[in-house]
Amino acid sequence: MIRQRLTRRQFLIGCSSAIAAMAGSRLTRVALAAPGAGDDTNSEVLVVIFLRGGWDALNVVPPIDGSDRGYYEGARTELQIPTSGEGALLQLNSQFGLHPSMGPLYDLYQQGSLAVVHAVGLTSDTRSHFDAMQFIELGTPGDKNTTTGWITRHLESSPSLPGTILIPAISAGSSQALSFLGSHEAVAMSSPNDFSFRGHWDYEDAQRTALRSIYNGDTWLYQAGTQTLDAVDLIESLDPGDYTPANGAVYPSGSFGDNLQAIAQMIKMGVGLRVATIDLGGWDTHENQGDGSGGYLSGLLAELAGGLGAFYMDLSGAGASNYTSRLTLTVQSEFGRRLRENASHGTDHGHGSVMMVMGGNVNGGQVYGIWPGLQIQQLYDGADLAVTTDYRQVLSEILIQRCGNPNTEYVFPGYTGYTPLGLVRSGSVIPPGFDYHLYLPDVER
Amino acid sequence: MSELNSEPSISRQGALQAAALLGAAPWSEMLKSWLKPDASTQPPRPLREVGREREQRVIPPPPLPPLGVIALNRLAFGPRPGDVAAFNALGATPEARLQAYVDQQLNPAGIDDNACQARLTGAGFTTLNKSLGQLWSDHVVNNTTGWDLRMLPLVETERATLIRAVYSKRQLIEVLADFWHNHFNVYGWHYYVGPVFVHYDRDVIRAHLLGNFRQMLEAVAKSTAMLYYLDNYINQAGGFNENWARELMELHTLGVENYLGVMDPFSVPLDENGQPIGYVDNDVYEAARAFTGWRVDYSSWEPGVGQSGAFLYYESWHDRANKFFMRKYIPADQAPMKDGLDVLDGLASHPGTARHIAGKLCRRLVGDYPPQEVIDAAAAVFLAQKDAPDQLKQVVRTILLSTAFQNTWGDKVKRPFEAAAGFLRAANAEFTPSDSWGWNYGRLGQPLFSHPAPNGFADTKEDWANTMSMLQRWRLANALIEGWVEGTTIELVSQTPSNLRTPNAIADYWIDRLLGRAMHPVENREEIVGFLAQGRNPDFDLTDEQRSGRIPRMVAVLLMSPDFQLR
Repeated sequence: MIRQRLTRRQFLIGCSSAIAAMAGSRLTRVALAAPGAGDDTNSEVLVVIFLRGGWDALNVVPPIDGSDRGYYEGARTELQIPTSGEGALLQLNSQFGLHPSMGPLYDLYQQGSLAVVHAVGLTSDTRSHFDAMQFIELGTPGDKNTTTGWITRHLESSPSLPGTILIPAISAGSSQALSFLGSHEAVAMSSPNDFSFRGHWDYEDAQRTALRSIYNGDTWLYQAGTQTLDAVDLIESLDPGDYTPANGAVYPSGSFGDNLQAIAQMIKMGVGLRVATIDLGGWDTHENQGDGSGGYLSGLLAELAGGLGAFYMDLSGAGASNYTSRLTLTVQSEFGRRLRENASHGTDHGHGSVMMVMGGNVNGGQVYGIWPGLQIQQLYDGADLAVTTDYRQVLSEILIQRCGNPNTEYVFPGYTGYTPLGLVRSGSVIPPGFDYHLYLPDVER
Repeated sequence: MSELNSEPSISRQGALQAAALLGAAPWSEMLKSWLKPDASTQPPRPLREVGREREQRVIPPPPLPPLGVIALNRLAFGPRPGDVAAFNALGATPEARLQAYVDQQLNPAGIDDNACQARLTGAGFTTLNKSLGQLWSDHVVNNTTGWDLRMLPLVETERATLIRAVYSKRQLIEVLADFWHNHFNVYGWHYYVGPVFVHYDRDVIRAHLLGNFRQMLEAVAKSTAMLYYLDNYINQAGGFNENWARELMELHTLGVENYLGVMDPFSVPLDENGQPIGYVDNDVYEAARAFTGWRVDYSSWEPGVGQSGAFLYYESWHDRANKFFMRKYIPADQAPMKDGLDVLDGLASHPGTARHIAGKLCRRLVGDYPPQEVIDAAAAVFLAQKDAPDQLKQVVRTILLSTAFQNTWGDKVKRPFEAAAGFLRAANAEFTPSDSWGWNYGRLGQPLFSHPAPNGFADTKEDWANTMSMLQRWRLANALIEGWVEGTTIELVSQTPSNLRTPNAIADYWIDRLLGRAMHPVENREEIVGFLAQGRNPDFDLTDEQRSGRIPRMVAVLLMSPDFQLR
C-alpha cells in the first residue's frame, strides 16, 4: 500500500516556475465570478463512463467470421447477433461487428472519433461485481485498502491543473464515485440547476454566512460542507439557467441523459472542469437479455449510444465551440460475460470485456487489443473471454497523451509495462524536455 | 491463473492462508482486507490550498456527548423532545440507563406504541394487512388497473416506514429493519417485487430481525421478492442461473472478504475446524445447482404450477445429481429442498458469516471502523447462539452494551434517511408522507427500497459526506421549516418557551434541544447567536416579529450544522 503525504501544492512546488507561480496565486470570493478562469484552451476534459453490472462484451462487439464465429454461434444459439438479416450486427472491420442498437456510436466509429478495445479488463481473478469495481475504481487491482481513488490520485499529481480552478471534477449523480475516494475536489451533482441553496430570500444570505463559519475546519465533515458552499457559490454566480443542447442534439430521457447533459453544460460554462464520472447501471443480464432484434440489452445499449451520440453532437462545433477537440470519453465495465449463454436466456459473469474511447483526438475507426480467440483453451477458466490488455494501459495512455499527466506510476501504483496502444493523439501540455522524475518527492511504498 | 502484473501487497488469499497457517486468530486479518484502515488516523487531506484565502481551523475530534444523546442517535432516528430526559430517568448511572433502554427496545411488544399505530390506521392504507396470497391476487393476477395498483404495496410500505421512523417508540426495530432491508436488498420497483413488498417487509424482514439468522435466511431464500429479484425463480437444472447463489454468498452470508476468486476448491486452505477459510467460484456454481427448482407458483401452462405467487419447490427443475459445496459432499437425490437447505446450513454456521454479519452490524450501530473487540464479541455470540431463536437479539445486545458503543461518537454521518427522520423528530414535526415529501426527500440520494443493486445503500461517511448529499439535505431542512413540503408542518416559534426572548437564551435552548450538547467547536455557538441578533446586542429582547422570522431559519441552520449530521 502506498503511503503518500503528497498534496498538489507540494507536488507543484517541484515543477517549473511558471506553474509554481500559478500555484501561489490567490483567489478571493470576488474573483469567483470570472468565467473562464483557469479554463485554458488546451485543457482536456476526461469523462469516464462506468457501466455497472458487467456488460456482455461479446454481444456488444461480436466476432464476424472464422472459427471464432463458429464457437460464438455454438455457445449462443439463442442470443447470437446475426451477421445478416433482421437484427444484424454493424460491421466494424473484417473480424468484428457492433451490436445493431448502437447506431450513433457506429457513426462516430466510422468518422474516426470512436475506438474500440477488445479483450481488455481487470487481470485479477474475480467474478465479483463489488471486488472488480473496487479494484478498478481504486486503481489497485488486488488491493482494496487503498484510501484514494485513481482519479483522486490523477488530480493530485497532474501538473496541468492550475490551482485556480475550483471545480475540476464532477461525479454526476447524487453520490460520489469511488474513483474519487479521498478527494475534496470532486463535486457530486445531478444538474447545475439543482445546485442552488434555495432558502427564504430574506434569510438565505445570513444562513449561508453562518454556515460558512460553522463549517470552517480541516476534517472531513467540515471540508465537505465548505466544498458544498464553494460549489454552490460558483455555480450560482455563473447562472446556469435553462440549457439547450447545440446542433439539435437530443439526449435520451432518464438520469443517464440528464447527467450527460449536465456535464456538457458544465464544460461549456467554463468552470475549469477536467474530469467527470457518470454511471449507467443495469448491465447484469443474467436472464432474458435479448439478441440483435431487441430485448433488454438492446434497449440499454440504445440508451448508452443515444446518450453518447447526443453528448458528442452537443459538444461539436467550430472555433471556441469545438469542445470535442479537448474531450476524451471512456466507456468501461467491471467485466464481460461468459461465452456460453445460460438457461435463463441470459449470460453469467465473465472476464474479458470491451472498452471504448471517444473524442476529437482519438485514432478511431479501429479495434485495438490482442484478440485471444474463443477456442476453449484460449478462454479464461475455460469459460470466458480472456483479458490480454490491462485496462490501466488504456487509461494511462489517455492520462499521459491527453490529460498531460505523466505520473501514471502514482495513479496506478504497481502497474508496470505500460506502452501506448496508439488510441489517442498527443495533446500533452508538458514542455519538451521536461523530466517529471526530477521533481517527484520520495515515495514510501 | 497468473496475474499479468505484480501486485503491491499480499493478496487476500495469501493473508487468509498465512493467518490460518499461523493459527493466529484469523478474524482480524480477514477484516482488515475488508474494512478500510481507520481514516481518522490519517492526516486530513488538505483542500486545494492553492487558491484558498481563508484560514482553516483545526478541528479536534468531537467530545463524547452524554450517553443518552449517543443512544438516541444510533439506536433511534434521533431524539424527539423529551427522549433524552426519559433515557436519563431510567437509571442512576449511564451504563444502567443504557442497559434499561436497550432491554426495553429489545422487547418491543412491551412498549406501548398506540400513538404511532393510530397514525398508521389514520393514513388509510389498504395493503399492509394483506397476506401474500391476497397481495398476489389483488395486485398481480386480478389487477386490471395498472402500474399504480401494482406498486401500491411498495408505496404504502414506504410511507408506513417513514411514519414509523418518525413516530414509533420501538425505534431500535426501525433501525434494524432499515439495516436488514439493506442487507437483503431487493429493488422495490421491480415488476414482481413491488406487489409483494408488504409481505417481504412484514413477514421476511421484520418477523426475523430479532430472531434466528438461519431462519431469516430461509425466509429470504423462499420469498417471492428475492426469487424474482435475483432470478432464482427460473433457476433450473441443465442450465442453472447463478445470480442468487452468488449474492447469497457474497453479500448475505460470507461476504466478499471471504471470496477467494477463481481458484481450485481443493486448494482452499482449511481452518482449525477443517472448514474452508473462504469460498470460490465453484462453490457459487454448486450452490446455484442446489437451489434449482426453488421457484414461484405462477404459471398458466406448466403442470403442477398455479397462480398463488407463493414459494414453490418444483422437482422437475431440480438438479438431482450430487454436489460438492465448500468441501461438503451433498449426495444425489436428497429429499425435496434438502440440497438448498444444506447450503443454507453451511453458510449460516460458518465463522466467516459470523464475522461478516457482526462487522456490518457494528458498522451500522457503532462506527464506520469499529474496534476489533466488539466485532469479535458479536461474532462469537452469533456463532455460539446459531441455533437460538433469539440469536440476532443477543448479537445486537452484545454490540449495544459494549464499551465500544458507549465510547464511540462522530465516526458516522447520518445517511439521508436518518438525517430526514432526524429533522422531523427533532423539530417535532406534524408529518404525513406525500408526493411532495417524496420529491424533496428523493434528491438526498437514499430513496427507500429503491437501490437497484443487491448490495444495498452504502454505510460509510465517504459515501454520504459529498456535495450533493450535503446540499440536498440542507435544502430539505429549509423546505421543511418554510412549510414548502406538503403534508408537513413544523411550529418552531410556539415550541420556543415564550419567556426566552434574547438571542443568547434562544440559541442555548435550541442547541440543547436539537443537539443535547455544545456545538463543536464551541465558538460555532456565536454564529447561531449572531444569526438571531443580526448585529444587535445578544442580550436584548427580540420583538415578536423578529422571533417568528428568525427562530425557524436559525433552527434550519442547526439542522444543517456538522453536529447534527453526526451519529
